[in-house]
Amino acid sequence: MEKIKSFGNKISDSVLWNQLKAGDEESFSMLFERYYGSLVNYGKTLMPSEDIVKDCVQDVFVDIWKYSEKLNAAIVVKAYLFSCVRNRIARFRERDHIFSHVKDVDSFDFMFDFSVEERLIADESMASKVEYLNQCINNLPDRQKEALYLRYHQGLTVEQVAEVLDMNYQSTKNLLHRAISRLRSDFPISLVALLLANPTNF
Amino acid sequence: MQDRNFYKSVLDFITDESFQRWVREKEDLSNWEEWTLENTERAKLVAEARQWILAMRVEEDSVSNQETQEALFLTWSKIRKSNSSSRITRLFQANFFRAAAAVLVIGLVTAGIYTKLSIIETNSNALNQYVVQGDSNGLIEQINNTDKPQLITLSDASSILLQPKSKLSYPKNFKGSIRKVYLSGEAFFEISKDPNKSFMVYANETVTKVYGTSFRIVAYSNQPNVEVLVRTGKVKVSGVQKSLANASNEVILYPNQATRFERKNQVFEKILDLTRDESLLQSAKSIERLNFEFRDIPVSQIFATIEQAYLVSIDFPMEKLKECYLTTSLIDEPLPEKLKIICASLGNNTRYEMNGNQIKIISNGCK
Repeated sequence: MEKIKSFGNKISDSVLWNQLKAGDEESFSMLFERYYGSLVNYGKTLMPSEDIVKDCVQDVFVDIWKYSEKLNAAIVVKAYLFSCVRNRIARFRERDHIFSHVKDVDSFDFMFDFSVEERLIADESMASKVEYLNQCINNLPDRQKEALYLRYHQGLTVEQVAEVLDMNYQSTKNLLHRAISRLRSDFPISLVALLLANPTNF
Repeated sequence: MQDRNFYKSVLDFITDESFQRWVREKEDLSNWEEWTLENTERAKLVAEARQWILAMRVEEDSVSNQETQEALFLTWSKIRKSNSSSRITRLFQANFFRAAAAVLVIGLVTAGIYTKLSIIETNSNALNQYVVQGDSNGLIEQINNTDKPQLITLSDASSILLQPKSKLSYPKNFKGSIRKVYLSGEAFFEISKDPNKSFMVYANETVTKVYGTSFRIVAYSNQPNVEVLVRTGKVKVSGVQKSLANASNEVILYPNQATRFERKNQVFEKILDLTRDESLLQSAKSIERLNFEFRDIPVSQIFATIEQAYLVSIDFPMEKLKECYLTTSLIDEPLPEKLKIICASLGNNTRYEMNGNQIKIISNGCK
C-alpha cells in the first residue's frame, strides 16, 4: 500500500481519502496540498499550457468533492489522482481537436525530456556515456518514457503505473522492461549502429 | 520492498529511493558502497544503474506553497459555484453538446468538400505565376518571388506561409507513410495531425520530423545556420548525415524552444527559451505573435486576426454575424482546420469557400 515518507508522521492517504468521503473538508485540503504540485508537473508533460493543466488538476478535485460519496474507498489515492488528471487532459485535447483525427490517450505525446545530472559527472568518458544514454532514453517511444517517468520520478509502483496508463499489470511490466532492456545489454554500440542504419527513423 | 540481494535489473536499482539518494546526494545509510564491492557482477550492474540515474535528471519547477494555497482557494470557490448551479448548467450543457454534435457533422461534410475544391483552385491559380510542376520526383515547386509571405495549402490540409525568396517542393498528393517536403529559405508550418503519417521537412543539411504542430524553419542556402523554432507540439531535428563522432546530431524541441544548426560544423545549439533570445524573437513574423486563444471574442475580430496572420482576405456577412461571440483555441491548427472549427461553432449551415487567398464565409448567423 502507501509508502509513508520519512518526514514527520503523516496521516496516510487512505485515511484522508475515507475522511474526505465522509465530507471532511480538512482532509480534502490536505490531499490537495500533498499532490497538487506533482500533479501539475505531471500534467505539464502531457499539455504544454500550464494554465490549462492547472485548471484540469483543480477540476479533478472539484469532481472528487462533488461525487465524494460515490468514490471507491479502496483505491490507491496517488495512482487514482494521476489517472484522473491524465484522462482529464486527454478529454480536453479531444474536445480541443474535435476535427483532427482522434488522438486518443494511447497516442498521447509525452512532452518531457530527462536531462543530465552534470554536477555528478567527473570525467570526460563518463560524460559522453551518460550524455548518450540520456539521448537514447529521451528517444524512447512516448509510452515507454512516460511509464519510466511515473515509475522512476513519481515513485509509482508497477501496479500504479498500470492504472494510470490504463493497461494491465503484465503489459506495463513488459513495457518498462522493454524500455530498459532495449537500451541496456548492448548499449551503446548497437544503438549507434541502429541510428546510422536508419537516420530518419527513431 | 524487495531485498536488494535479488535485484536483477537496472530498474530495480533506479527505483530504489535509498539507491537514488546514494547516487545523487552521496547519502549512504544502507551501505551501498560496501554492498556493491562484495561481488563483481553486482558492481557492474550498479555502475550501469548509476549511469541511468545520471542520465535521468528531472528538471521541473517546484510549485510553491503559496501557489498551491491559491489553487486550493480557487478550487473551493469552483466547488461552491458548481453546487449552486450544477443542475441547471448540466442540463444546459447536455443539450448544447447534442446540438453541437449535429452541427459538427454537417460542418465536417461541407467543409471537407470545400477544402478539396480549394486545394485544386490554389494549385492551378498559383501555377500561372510561380509553380514549376513535375520535376523528376513529381514534386510541385513553389517559389515566392513577391515581397510578401505566401500561403500554401497542402493536400493533407496543412498550411504553410512561405516567406519571400523562399522555395518549397511538395507532392501534389502525399503517398505512403511519410509526408515529405523540401524547403529552401524560410517558412512557417502548421501541420495537420495524422499519427500514421509522419511529416518531415528537409532543409539544407537538416531534417525536421514533426508530430503535428506549428513551427518555423529558416534555411537559406547562402546562410551559415539553419534555425528551427517551435510554437506548439513537438518536433525533432536531426542532421541529414549521421556521424559516429557526433552523438548530439539531433535535438528535440518543445513549444517556445528553438535550435540553431551550424552548417559548417554540423552541430546543433539548443535555445531553451525563445522568449529570451532577442535575435530570434525579433524575427518572429506576425503569425507567431498573434494570439489564437479566443475567449468570448466577436467572430469578426477572429476573422481579422486570421487575415493578418495568413495574409488572406475574408469576406463574411457582417450584419448576420454581428452578435456572434466565440470561445475557442485555434493555436495548434492549420488554416483549413481553423476555418472548419469556426464554421462549425457558428452552426446554422455556416461554411467557407477558399480560392487562393480569398476566403468567403457563407452563413445565416449563429442563432
